[in-house]
Amino acid sequence: MNKNKNTFKTPEGYFEKFSDTLLDKISDLKSGQEETVLPKEGGFTIPDGYFGSLHANIKNRLDEEPSKVIALHGRQKFYYYAAAAVAAIVFLTIGIRTTINETPTFESLAKIEIEDYFESNDLGLSTYEIAEVIPVDNLEISDIIDNLLEDENIIEYLDDSIENFEELNLTDYEY
Amino acid sequence: MIVEETLVNELKQLETQAKAFEVLVNTYKERLYWHIRRIVLNHDDTDDVLQNTFIKVYKNIDNFNGDSKLYSWMYRIATNEALTFLKKKSKKLRVSDTELQDKMIDNLQADVYFEGDEIQLKLQKAVATLPEKQKLIFNMKYFEEMKYEEISNILDTSVGGLKASYHLAVKKVESFLKED
Repeated sequence: MNKNKNTFKTPEGYFEKFSDTLLDKISDLKSGQEETVLPKEGGFTIPDGYFGSLHANIKNRLDEEPSKVIALHGRQKFYYYAAAAVAAIVFLTIGIRTTINETPTFESLAKIEIEDYFESNDLGLSTYEIAEVIPVDNLEISDIIDNLLEDENIIEYLDDSIENFEELNLTDYEY
Repeated sequence: MIVEETLVNELKQLETQAKAFEVLVNTYKERLYWHIRRIVLNHDDTDDVLQNTFIKVYKNIDNFNGDSKLYSWMYRIATNEALTFLKKKSKKLRVSDTELQDKMIDNLQADVYFEGDEIQLKLQKAVATLPEKQKLIFNMKYFEEMKYEEISNILDTSVGGLKASYHLAVKKVESFLKED
């Protein structure tokens, strides 16, 4: 009697489809596990009828916008120029007569003004340019060694600077 | 199902513009609303940002050259509008981005348009701790159930980078929720 003779049968194409079925099941299990921890609903609500009136609200704003432009008439322009000229003369006269006792220094600028300037002006400095202006003497090697990079900083850096992320050969996480 | 190319052409022509704009607003308003709402959290701010987004789309439709999908282009505008709105808000209130996020979460508890339970509130707190890009990726993948390819077109980031960022974000959110 042949012990190895297999009398069992499998549905047609079972083994061909097996890996796909298994992967689907694993991914279902994973998402099932996540849902037990993370709720899918955010809890946000909206006022009744909000979406129904949205188009009309946007249309009203679009219709209103051109009317905000107020044309300056010739006469008004003349007054503006005249006022500007008088202000300039007064300013220059006072400026010439008054001796400036102190020139503004870097220290006299409020810190917030400097911060505002940097925030509102895109200086377009590259990291190399910043490195050039920061004196190396002020840096200690411990500044670099003691401050370990967080995973997310590394990912963000790689995101910005690596074109083909797959080249790094990272483990592929699929959710 | 609207044909995107036809809609764009109609939006660019004066005689068909008004009708096409109505179709555009009605087609995308809900998806864009929820995308913005998850960034700015509060309904009134979302309404402002959403209206600004559609106005920007309307005014700049001539600059849309069809390199990406209209939907991706609009999502990109909505994302930029929402992030700029938050930056302006933190500047106006003279607080840091992190302080603003904390403030937004505190306000959420008193918001009449937030009916989330304790776990949903905690989830929002957890998402608020994520860095800006991870937060966007988490919202788009987890809540909006977008495909990596779609997110990649909107955020201009590689699919591999997105997967890694999403994985990190999920881990952080999970560990935040498991605390206490």
